[in-house]
Amino acid sequence: MDQNKQDEEYGYDLFPERKARKPKHITIRDSLFTSRNKCQVMLTFAMEISPYAKLLLNAMKNSGCKVYKDRHFSCEDCDGTVSGGFDAATSQIVLCQNNIHQQAHMNRVVTHELIHAFDHCRAHVDWFNNFRHLACSEIRAANLSGDCSFTNEVSRFNFGLKEHHQQCVRDRAVRSILAVRKVSQEEAQKIVDEVFDSCFKDHAPFGRIPHGNKDATFAYREYVNRDRYYANL
Amino acid sequence: MEQLAERAWRPHRACEDYLSEFRHCKGFRNNFHHYYTYGTAPSCQQWKEDYHNCREWESHKLTEAKDALQKSERRRLEEQKNFTPVWKLRQAPPGDWHRPLD
Repeated sequence: MDQNKQDEEYGYDLFPERKARKPKHITIRDSLFTSRNKCQVMLTFAMEISPYAKLLLNAMKNSGCKVYKDRHFSCEDCDGTVSGGFDAATSQIVLCQNNIHQQAHMNRVVTHELIHAFDHCRAHVDWFNNFRHLACSEIRAANLSGDCSFTNEVSRFNFGLKEHHQQCVRDRAVRSILAVRKVSQEEAQKIVDEVFDSCFKDHAPFGRIPHGNKDATFAYREYVNRDRYYANL
Repeated sequence: MEQLAERAWRPHRACEDYLSEFRHCKGFRNNFHHYYTYGTAPSCQQWKEDYHNCREWESHKLTEAKDALQKSERRRLEEQKNFTPVWKLRQAPPGDWHRPLD
């Protein structure tokens, strides 16, 4: 398949620095005063402080995919309004330094992408050819990362209360698929509906849907103590 | 031998963990989020019973308390697995996870 066509098919055109496939030459001045540095600093904070991220990093280490900040994360400029992505071909999480400006947003993006990385690590996820797999991971990421919290939805002017979380997860999964694959809205919706029931219930590695930092802290505590848990089951 | 195993057993979590889970479950935030997600109120009674059984085990080493706790936690685990996975789980992590970038 023609490289350009392949790039478009898999959403790589949203991440032009990735597409160039040439390492960008970075001077010291660049690295100290730019959004790349801010991105790196916020990333470090997220990895050390967010209970969501800490749990996922721990779970990935235990699955044999220890995450190294320099190898598995990349701060880049991206097109449009996309905040991040997971590149299965290089096993990297891309963070869009030009679109992430607040720590809370960074925490959420890191969590979201780590969920994709975690799925890649623990299951045979066919990112490029199987839309059901892609949809499933997007459902899980929207569900478990806090993307669909009440506050976030209100800030997007999506007002809803009873079971709105589920509607938000569906919508965001469809949007994520549409952003990286050339399919119609109807097709994407159909695929999401097919796998929703199964994937919405898959809360690994959290064991629950974390609705905020306190939930995530409890989930982290549970995860850290799992040896004792399973030994006494 | 079995007596040794009995004494070696301890509750799955620290008793305070059961209590804090119960309190968290009953709190306003959790109720709100549960309604926002599922359209119903959460059921928290099980955490309270588990805490009670945990304390019973710690104080009196009652077999009923141990059995009840084991039953409760096994059920909790079952509920978490109550879905058909869309994908096949790996036996080993992906081989190229640590491959150096060119």
